[in-house]
Amino acid sequence: MSQSYNRGLIEDFGRWKEFSAGMWAWIFHKFTGWMLIGYLFTHIAVLSSALTGPEAYTNTIQGLESLFIIRVLEVGLLAVAVFHILNGLRLLMVDLGIGLDTQDKSFYASLVLTAIITVASVPTFMDGVTI
Amino acid sequence: MAERYSSFAPGGTTWLLQRITAAFLVVVLAFHFFLLHFVNHAADVTFMGTQARMENVGYFLTMVLFLIAGTFHGVNGVYNALVNQGLQGTQKKVVLAVLVIASVALIAQGTYVATVMAGWT
Amino acid sequence: MSTQQQKPNTQETPEDPEMKGAESPQQERLKEKESDMVDETSVDESELEGDTVLIKVFRYDPEVADKQEPRFDDFHVPFKKGMTVLDAVMYARDTYDSSLTFRHSCRQAVCGSDAFFVNGKQRLGCKTQISELEHPVRIEPLPHQEVVKDLVVDMDHFYDQMHTVEPYFQNEDTPDASDLEEQRQTRENREKVKMSTRCIWCGACMSSCNIAAGDNEYLGPAAINKAYRFAMDNREGEEIKEHRLRILEQEHGVWRCQTQFSCTEVCPKDIPLTEHIQELKREAVKKNLKFW
Repeated sequence: MSQSYNRGLIEDFGRWKEFSAGMWAWIFHKFTGWMLIGYLFTHIAVLSSALTGPEAYTNTIQGLESLFIIRVLEVGLLAVAVFHILNGLRLLMVDLGIGLDTQDKSFYASLVLTAIITVASVPTFMDGVTI
Repeated sequence: MAERYSSFAPGGTTWLLQRITAAFLVVVLAFHFFLLHFVNHAADVTFMGTQARMENVGYFLTMVLFLIAGTFHGVNGVYNALVNQGLQGTQKKVVLAVLVIASVALIAQGTYVATVMAGWT
Repeated sequence: MSTQQQKPNTQETPEDPEMKGAESPQQERLKEKESDMVDETSVDESELEGDTVLIKVFRYDPEVADKQEPRFDDFHVPFKKGMTVLDAVMYARDTYDSSLTFRHSCRQAVCGSDAFFVNGKQRLGCKTQISELEHPVRIEPLPHQEVVKDLVVDMDHFYDQMHTVEPYFQNEDTPDASDLEEQRQTRENREKVKMSTRCIWCGACMSSCNIAAGDNEYLGPAAINKAYRFAMDNREGEEIKEHRLRILEQEHGVWRCQTQFSCTEVCPKDIPLTEHIQELKREAVKKNLKFW
């Protein structure tokens, strides 16, 4: 019956099954935020190939875009960006004191919308590339 | 009356700026994605096409402002996440300095790249 | 709406005095409401009647060699209709193990001393019906606070944060006593602060807050709500309101709130904590914009 009990991490993220909508929204928002700022640094680094010359720039971008994995990652980036935008709008509303009683529903709505937009964009993003 | 505090408390300024940049970014990020993935296919991007866009002063300014707002919003978000986790003292100052330097470098580099793209160098 | 109006109800001669005493007026009100709509709960309760309920209670005592390793003790408690979590742990203590330690006093959600972590959520023991919980019921001390013994946590930090916001009415400008005048508050203003006055300092919100857990300097939902109660009270002057906002707009004040809504969800008095914190953020921004 004696059970070891760790009051460390278990109190926070070890309890993820018990998290409510607002907590999940925060975790997703932080996570997507980290991805986006990380991407911004990468993005500027890739575009810096323009400094080498027009050829290098065009070749770098088209070379990357011809890779299947890059296209998949781009779809992922879209999903991340769309969620961050939609949940960001939700948070702006919360900051203005609007819809605090329905904050859980607006979180689910932003999840569903993100899924729809991402799925609908897959054909465009995957156009002209093969594995 | 009590003395007037005309300066913004630091927390409040960045909080408000985080929201203002957010509102701006929502619009421009959506525009950016739409322009470079739907109107122009990302795979078809060439230097010529990029230059044609960047030469437009309005587009150039929007992109630079986009970069500045995005960097502030993102780096401030990272900093806040760390403060929320209890970052304090010397560590906090070091992290802030590193983040500020990284932001300035990113904005400088990005702006320079944009001027090269526009062919103004 | 106020608790006072419900007082006559508690004066009724209860059929079962012991159990009646353990119920708060609010629970009675809720029951009255629910009895019209939901019959299922009463069915559930009668099914449980005569059964025993298994509660798993966190045990820890740094002063006894065998108990320094935290563990869970199982207690089988006979179920009675209307039994709360507090009733169950009291039964366990009185019947099985007198060393089982926890705070409790009024047993009607007023004193705020029996907030526990029940089935993964901060709840008030005296206000939580056993029949509404999944079984077995797991009862732990509030997270993010030092455990002193069993279910007793150290509340010092919580009280420190509460006192930081100067949680008392400050207005020296009292009407002349000879006029027999009172410091009056408009009905509208009373309505505005009504929910915030309900805080019972139980610490459930602070314990549920992910940011308060990480950032020890964060004032926390309860303290900010307390500040709201006075900052929004019109009887206090502009000067003191500004003073209050200056406390709140520090780096570890209102800005740390990430609107996770955890506090609002666990508050046993249904205080819209997030709403109040957000309003204070806007107040602070407005105050500073004015002087630009």
